[in-house]
Amino acid sequence: MPAHAELSGWSPTLWTTAAFAAGALLQVDRIPLWATAVLIACAAWQLSVAARKLPAFPKLAQLILTFVLVACVVITFHTVNGLAAGTVLLVVMGSIKLVESRSRRDRYIVIAAALFLLLAACLDRQGLARVPLYLGEVALCCTALAVTAYGDAGLDFRVAGKLAGRSLLLAVPLALVLFLFFPRLPGGFWALPANDEARTGLGESMSPGSISQLTASYDPAFRVRFLGAIPPARERYWRGPVLHAFDGYTWRRGAAEAYHAQRLRFLGEPYRYTVTLVGDDNRWWFALDTVADASDKHVFFSYDYDLIAREPATRPTSYDAVSYTRTESSDTLSSYARQLETALPADRNPRTRQLAASLRARAATDSEFVRAVVDFLRAGGFQYSLTPPKLDPDSVDDFLFHTREGFCGHFASAFVALVRAGGVPARVVTGYQGGEWNPIGGYFVIRQSDAHAWAEVWIDGRGWRRMDPTAIVAPERLSRGILDLLPDAVSRGTRLLHGTPFLAHLLQGWDALNAAWNERIVKFDVNSQLGILARFGLQSNDWMALVAALGGGLVGWLAWIAWHIGRSAGARPPDRLGRAYARLCRKLARAGVARDASEGPLAYAAKIARCRPDLAVRAQPLLARYAHLRYGSISGAAATSAIAGFERRVFRWHVARRS
Amino acid sequence: MKRFLRARIASWARRRQGADSLPVTVHYRRIYILPTRAGCGFGVLLFCMFIAGLNYSNSTALFLTFWLMGFVLVGLHRCHRNLLGIALQHATALPTFAGAAGQLELTLGNSAALTRLRIEADLPGMPASATDIAATSAARVSLAVPTTVRGRLLIDGLRLTTALPFGLFRAWTWVYLPLEIIVYPRARGSLPLPAVAGMNHGARIRGGAGGDEWLGLRAFRDGDSPRQVAWKAYARGAPLLVKEYCSASAPERFFDFERLPGLDTEKRLEQLSAWIVDADNRGERYALTLPGSKLPLDRGPQHRHLCLRALALFGLGPARHASAR
Repeated sequence: MPAHAELSGWSPTLWTTAAFAAGALLQVDRIPLWATAVLIACAAWQLSVAARKLPAFPKLAQLILTFVLVACVVITFHTVNGLAAGTVLLVVMGSIKLVESRSRRDRYIVIAAALFLLLAACLDRQGLARVPLYLGEVALCCTALAVTAYGDAGLDFRVAGKLAGRSLLLAVPLALVLFLFFPRLPGGFWALPANDEARTGLGESMSPGSISQLTASYDPAFRVRFLGAIPPARERYWRGPVLHAFDGYTWRRGAAEAYHAQRLRFLGEPYRYTVTLVGDDNRWWFALDTVADASDKHVFFSYDYDLIAREPATRPTSYDAVSYTRTESSDTLSSYARQLETALPADRNPRTRQLAASLRARAATDSEFVRAVVDFLRAGGFQYSLTPPKLDPDSVDDFLFHTREGFCGHFASAFVALVRAGGVPARVVTGYQGGEWNPIGGYFVIRQSDAHAWAEVWIDGRGWRRMDPTAIVAPERLSRGILDLLPDAVSRGTRLLHGTPFLAHLLQGWDALNAAWNERIVKFDVNSQLGILARFGLQSNDWMALVAALGGGLVGWLAWIAWHIGRSAGARPPDRLGRAYARLCRKLARAGVARDASEGPLAYAAKIARCRPDLAVRAQPLLARYAHLRYGSISGAAATSAIAGFERRVFRWHVARRS
Repeated sequence: MKRFLRARIASWARRRQGADSLPVTVHYRRIYILPTRAGCGFGVLLFCMFIAGLNYSNSTALFLTFWLMGFVLVGLHRCHRNLLGIALQHATALPTFAGAAGQLELTLGNSAALTRLRIEADLPGMPASATDIAATSAARVSLAVPTTVRGRLLIDGLRLTTALPFGLFRAWTWVYLPLEIIVYPRARGSLPLPAVAGMNHGARIRGGAGGDEWLGLRAFRDGDSPRQVAWKAYARGAPLLVKEYCSASAPERFFDFERLPGLDTEKRLEQLSAWIVDADNRGERYALTLPGSKLPLDRGPQHRHLCLRALALFGLGPARHASAR
């Protein structure tokens, strides 16, 4: 390395390569392996060229490589649009540019590509844990810029790093002003390309095993902050997609708007709360059981009381809602709705039908029949297990009469199928149950591992009643987390982290930080901007105030930065002794003898003695004193007190102005 | 077009600033600053980032963009600051022969407590030379000025430029110093030296250490004996010089413009120039007669310069601008 440092072009090449490679590596888990390989190969080649170990990459090979790699991108993604394909294209094209960069201009382009990769990373993921990486990359790019701007010799990287770091620090206030006050768009200019990632979280269908897959993930799905009363754990059902159509194995959502919603009467206490979704591209807004009010224009109520967003939540989204955990309805179910909610595939699960028929024959009313079904599940020797055996296509028969071991999805599916077979309307509800209290942040975090499925049964005169067949079989599911109940549900690492009190506490702190980051920074929008203005007592819908705050901040920063940077260009400020000497010289100049720039203190004293003997009596010892203090061998505390004495003597001497 | 524009701007600045005198300290009011091509590209990049951030309503991307905007503005001020307060302390123009490059030596002083990075100095249309200036010190830059014809080459517009620290902006200042380079006529001619007109105190032969009369110092040439080198001066940092002595007497020659029939004026001047260089190399005494002026018999570097200067300025009226070529 030290040998390379002598080479012309080595340092700028090294730093631009580092900036670009780091930018690409931010996305290393998002780009295919071959793109990473191309990046590493190109970076290595370029460094070898700069170290005079390899010849320059041939032009023709570059051209061919460009075509081949673009073709690879198209084959992999079937497009060059979108964030994922665009990122890979940028990595590939940037790598080729890197390998052909010789001039300062080429290097600037590579640094620009690195900054664009950083932008892509920001657009892709903006978790708190990524922030240090992004900060490092910004600093690296700016350092590379300073090294490159100096020319082929390259500025010493310590100097460049200091320059870049200080400049970035000085820029922070402006960034904050613009971030806080620059008017945001309520929506985008154009439609956002959908994320190509397979999303996690609940889907719009449920088959045996689909929910237990989800529980392996300990990632948060959303966080809830209650204003006032907090419902007990057994009431905390976070309602998600309601599934109506069954094909014997899989439950699906079915028709979009099948029938009219029933009018509800809310019972008990209202719960007010704010939900913050992490933003995993779901259109489902989860809410506590039955929502009475969610005033947000971005969402609509479906006929089965689901909240469905108009746009998928690609980034953290919050909404306020009011819910009740108990409702009643005296409406009747239309015959179409009744038919829909009792539909079962005619040729599937025959034994379930037989069982339902025999239970139905003994029950006088719908309620009694449902109770009989519950009793059957309770007494049937069913096991709650995360890893139940695989089921036949006739999943309900297989589960009820053969395996008798299942997770919440199995129980909900079997329960609803049984109830429907008895002619009582019922539906499967998926969502989350419970949630972990975070004492540091004061909110509940609901994780993917809290995913749950339960049932709703229609009883005439009372409306849709929530019934949780899992709670019948394993009542402890509601009071204890999944970690307690089924330790195998999550990985050993997660178990260790969340099972150790100290570590769990740390994790809760980290989660609270993340929640604050998401709420304050990531989902900062127009409303947050107006909220800030309101806090300063300004009209919350006054756009002029926003513009004024922006303009004021901008002008203030510009003035400050001009002053701050400009002042250091002046002559080095003199020390205490120098200042006192300058003062003495000023006084003497006012009295009529100015010091020439070429005169030292003693020559000056001689001049004064020649032309102003009246001044010389006091001026001469002072100037001699200055010469002694400046050039004599005096140091330490003695010097400090001597300088202070000199200062005093200069200060107290009132020299008469020349009349 | 670009050239024309640049010349117009320069002449506007010239009218605005007026002429300077040394030392020139670069003040706020005379610094001009514009984005470089890289700076414009960076601007486009930031605009794209801004649009993307706004469209995705992505706080992190927007903050990144705003931060980099601030960084660019800080870079603007730093570039301006890199030039601000620099003092052009000395500017020395060394005479040269027509056809050779003249040297303009500039001393740039930095009284501030910060290092000035890559300050470039150039004359319009000529390659720049760059230097760093450490805190509270000075640095020298020398500029080559190509010459074609004899006379007085007036250097008017001198430019100090910097694009550092990030290369996104270029700040410059024009310095209008009445600097002139005396361009001697080319030392060229086929005629032999005129015959020795006489001997002053016998023959004087230029020689090395063998002579007894101190003649002066001249630049080291290949083949000079190391014993003649002025080592003491060299040790003090002066260039390699050779001490010249001559014996007590030397031949005397008279160079007369009128006694070169059959040649036009420029050819005569070139011939005279060649003779003077020749005679000076031999350590001879010579006199120069031009129509209207006469330089008496003498020798040494000062005499050589006066003679060559007289040739250079012969028959010339006002000086010409270096930039007018």
